[in-house]
Amino acid sequence: MKKIIAILLAGMMAATALVGCGGNEGSSSASGSSNSGSSSSGDAAKIEGSVVDYSYFGDEDNIKLKVWAPDATVSLVKKQIEEFKKVYSEKTFDISVVAQGESDAATQMQNDASVAADVFSLPSDQLNSLVDAGVIAPVAFKDQVIEANSEDTIKAGTIKDTLYAYPETNDNGYYLVYDNTVVTPEQAQTFEGVLEACKAAGKKFIFDAGDGFYACTFAFTAGAKIDGLEEDGLTQKFVKYDEDEAVKTLQAFAQLIKDYKGTFQSLNVKNVASGFANGTCGAGVDGSWDTAVNEKSLGEKFGAAKLPTIKVDGEDKQLVSMFGYKYIGVNGSSKFPASAQILAYYLAGEECQKQRAEELGWGPSNKNVQNDPVVKESKVLQAIAEQGKNACVQVNIASTFWTPMGNLGNKLVADDCDPTDAAAMKKLLQDTIANVRDEG
Amino acid sequence: MTYVEYKQLNPFQRFAHNLKKFIVNAPRAIANFFKAVGRAIVKFFTGIGKGFKNYGVTFVKGDWATKLSYLIFGIGDIHKGKYYKGILFFLTEVLYVLYMVFFGWTYLRDFTTLGTVETHMEFVNGVIPKTVYGDNSMLILLYSVLSIVITVVVFAVYIANIKDAYRHQVMRAEGEKPTSLKQDVKDFLDGKYHITLLSFPVLMIGIFNILPLIFMILIAFTSYDKTHMPPGTLFTWVGLDNFASLFDVVHSARRAKTFIDLTEWTLIWAVVATFSNYILGMIFALMINKKGIKLKALWRTLFVITIAVPQFVSLLLMNQMLQTNGAVNVLLSEITKQDVQIQFFNTSAFMARMTVIIVNCWVGIPYTILSMSGILMNIPEDLYESARIDGAGPVKTFTKITLPYMIFVTTPQLITQFVGNINNFNVIYLLTGGGPTTEQYYQAGQTDILVTWLFNLTMNSQDYGLAAAIGILVFIVCATLSLIVYNSSKSMKDEEAFS
Amino acid sequence: MIKSYKFRRHLANTFIYLFLIVMGIIWVSPFVYLVMHSFRGEGLIAVDYLIPKQWTLQNYIDLFTGAGGNAALNFPRWFLNTFIVACFSCVISTISVLMVSYAFSRLRFKARKKFMNVGMILGMFPGFMTMIAIYYLLKAMGLTQTLVALVICYSCGAGLGFQISKGFFDTIPRALDEAATIDGATKNQIFWKIILPMSKPIVVYTVLTSFIGPWTDFILAKIIMGDNRPYYTVAIGLQLMQSADFINTYYKQFLAGSVVVAVPITILFLMMQKYYVEGVTAGGVKG
Repeated sequence: MKKIIAILLAGMMAATALVGCGGNEGSSSASGSSNSGSSSSGDAAKIEGSVVDYSYFGDEDNIKLKVWAPDATVSLVKKQIEEFKKVYSEKTFDISVVAQGESDAATQMQNDASVAADVFSLPSDQLNSLVDAGVIAPVAFKDQVIEANSEDTIKAGTIKDTLYAYPETNDNGYYLVYDNTVVTPEQAQTFEGVLEACKAAGKKFIFDAGDGFYACTFAFTAGAKIDGLEEDGLTQKFVKYDEDEAVKTLQAFAQLIKDYKGTFQSLNVKNVASGFANGTCGAGVDGSWDTAVNEKSLGEKFGAAKLPTIKVDGEDKQLVSMFGYKYIGVNGSSKFPASAQILAYYLAGEECQKQRAEELGWGPSNKNVQNDPVVKESKVLQAIAEQGKNACVQVNIASTFWTPMGNLGNKLVADDCDPTDAAAMKKLLQDTIANVRDEG
Repeated sequence: MTYVEYKQLNPFQRFAHNLKKFIVNAPRAIANFFKAVGRAIVKFFTGIGKGFKNYGVTFVKGDWATKLSYLIFGIGDIHKGKYYKGILFFLTEVLYVLYMVFFGWTYLRDFTTLGTVETHMEFVNGVIPKTVYGDNSMLILLYSVLSIVITVVVFAVYIANIKDAYRHQVMRAEGEKPTSLKQDVKDFLDGKYHITLLSFPVLMIGIFNILPLIFMILIAFTSYDKTHMPPGTLFTWVGLDNFASLFDVVHSARRAKTFIDLTEWTLIWAVVATFSNYILGMIFALMINKKGIKLKALWRTLFVITIAVPQFVSLLLMNQMLQTNGAVNVLLSEITKQDVQIQFFNTSAFMARMTVIIVNCWVGIPYTILSMSGILMNIPEDLYESARIDGAGPVKTFTKITLPYMIFVTTPQLITQFVGNINNFNVIYLLTGGGPTTEQYYQAGQTDILVTWLFNLTMNSQDYGLAAAIGILVFIVCATLSLIVYNSSKSMKDEEAFS
Repeated sequence: MIKSYKFRRHLANTFIYLFLIVMGIIWVSPFVYLVMHSFRGEGLIAVDYLIPKQWTLQNYIDLFTGAGGNAALNFPRWFLNTFIVACFSCVISTISVLMVSYAFSRLRFKARKKFMNVGMILGMFPGFMTMIAIYYLLKAMGLTQTLVALVICYSCGAGLGFQISKGFFDTIPRALDEAATIDGATKNQIFWKIILPMSKPIVVYTVLTSFIGPWTDFILAKIIMGDNRPYYTVAIGLQLMQSADFINTYYKQFLAGSVVVAVPITILFLMMQKYYVEGVTAGGVKG
């Protein structure tokens, strides 16, 4: 009993110390780690790779955990958990893996975290609401995680100076996927080239302009990029941008879409794979989650590249997309918090990321795995990585963001859109930004 | 206008006349409605006053057992030999006390603040974060409502217990014996049959409809939103702030515009959708049920399949068929040998709205056919016979017998459908998802009605407080409207007209 | 004169037949499309032609065996779950609707109109706002993630749908009740022995509507069931197949599943239609 009180006291001291230096930006992680070093009784507690010392388990044993994994990964996660049990053979585990879609996972966490999984995977855009609802626990082994994973994934997983989830992938984005008998790799470099090639072959180019997730490309490319949230924690912040330049870009998009009417089709993204399967689609913008089915539909003809460029005022301008990451999170109300952390740390570790890259083709966030030949040689992962350099990170997105962006896309592809009307285009952009920011 | 003049009008003029009458009378009807509400409130409070008076008087007049019933339920009844009822009263009290001590009070005590203990983080071993959950405002609110409702019910039982004890005391004084269990059971199957019939449904409705409803209404007066999400953060009472922000045209012009425009479209939608279904459905039903039309079962089956297929399937199917590359455009292209790409949902608001209304006919008419057919077949045959003897033709029998009868029976249905359409989530959400989009509205599209907007607000931006406030406003409009129409409709006024 | 009347009637009937045929085609064609494409062998989601090129039973086989796909999608189990829930909630709902309607139509008691008014407006709140409350109430009873919870949810509010059947009961002559009362029948006996046998159409209506509910709801059921996939109903299951993770490979199975759900309900409708007609003769009021 005394021991527990001592541990609790030590923990509380550490917590207050952390809170105390919370305002001190940037240094919090460093001071946090020094605290953890001094306050914990076991200074021999070692962490090697993705395996930690038994002392981190505290007095947890007969551990019962539930893991949520997306359907495609269930069998792999089960295998990895078997390995996990072997690694920590001194403890008894009862770990169940339940198939659960990622976006659904976040909804269920918010509905009732107490029956949700202890360890679950989530896309970066869900992180904010989970943190707001207080249902996700911060990362325990943050020093090791920060060191092992790419800077972007750490930055996106950090909210108010606390790292809330273990980075798992850095591939949650969309890219250009094409039929290489229709579009050549050179043509795939420019929007004009892709559309011309599709038109020549009598096939469709599919882009989901009505969905804000894809349509924000128009605004981002025009320069209206997002930059986190304002201080109120609700309003979307945009970087400063040149409005005339932005309007010109939007006009260029509208003109191009008008010129290739019939070829450029704004359809639900699921039509890309269908179109490839029945040969009506020449190219499209689709995400990493559909890579498998697109590859299956196209077979040898499968081609992938970063998003193309568009000619604005005689200059080629790279399309800027929305880009996100996937994380593994720990349920704040887990009955075995230490074990859940250790399991999440293991599953997000180098070895497991490598297995996912090899077996599922997932792009890793771990720096070592990123240099792995499997990743280096993957056309898709390279295209995504390339696009990732020209993207806004999908984190800290205001809930009001998606609908107005979808509307912007719809308006640009509409039949009655007049590309030459700069004033109307300017008003559309201003209205869109104002609507996202919930102003006026 | 005299009766004779009225009879000389043609049906359209009559309809116009009736419509005018309805509109002219509407303000009075609304005024009467609120007067009735006011009277009910006054009656309620005078009732409470009277109740208090009786409460005291009974105590003074009561014998020891009746007096003890003020503290321990059922003693009076048991003393007078009405054992089973007394025991039931007593058990109620015991269960209530147990409930309150072990569950209810732990939540109810925080009802005024909705929780004060905040969730915070502790670090076990200095490394492992452990969330220590504080109060959960939502559960406090919900279970407090539960406890309050239970308390009100138990209080009613308490009063009944006292009244019953006193009644039995009076009965004993007059030398009467309390009724036996057997007699009571018999009474519950005849004289008090309504209690037997209604108690189970009322109990279920009370728990799963009324309770959540009270909860939702209260949510409108709290700060439950994205930045106040239990269990991580607490929320608390904010009074009328949510309602105020709805009408704040200065700071949120777009929001106010959305609210006004969507309200307008919701009303148009509800009227058009209801009457198109009703009138067309009636025409279909009359055709199918016309004498001399064969294969009645086949026709009904054809239409009724729409009901058999789950709505989210049939509407998603419709949505896909009406896409630019969907089956309808493919069919039109094949017929016209041209590349037809009609945009049903994406560009024109008018087009999208028409599509929604037409598809809603496809969904809704079978329901009307189903219920109308049942009613049509049930029209007393002798009404027709006597009409025929009087020499009435088919048109006259229709306008004089069939139509009034149908309207009489289906008025309640019409109201439920109207309100159902105001709240018709499925058709809009699954078919258009609110589209076409517009930059004029806040988080809504041009076919969005208030409910789907509410759904967007709760799902996308977690504005529960605001959404609940809008929900209440919608409810007040719906409820007032339907109460007025229903209570002034013919089928309510003379329920026994056709009996 | 008689001839021309007959001729006019024939003309009218021909017109009605034509109208019904055209409308029937419009009404049924989406389902013909649905059925056809549930047998489609090629393509993924959308195809740009109306009639499939390859016909196959594979979609149905995959649906029931879970072959070639995810073991977590157990359609036969979901079907059984839904059937059980539908049966129980249909019985409970029908009984409560009839009880409430009879009470409001035939019995006269204090506060009857007040009850009716409250009952009418209760259903007018947008339902999904209260779902989370219902979830936590069920949780307090320890019922979440069970089929019992679904039965409760689908039948608890049934009593509120009394208007239509009350309207129906109102048209049954009260003379029948009075005669029975003189013969010494209690209200209970009148309900079961006189009113109910005369009300087949409305009983059928109520049974059908309450039986269908569980097959179509996917929002509340999803909140209650959470991650417990073996206890899903077909509606949540089909909705799951529609989700982004599944739709590409499961779309055709989704179509097949929709057909499988629609068939029993349609058969039920066909069977009930017989009773419908019987209800006319039995319910014919000749008093």
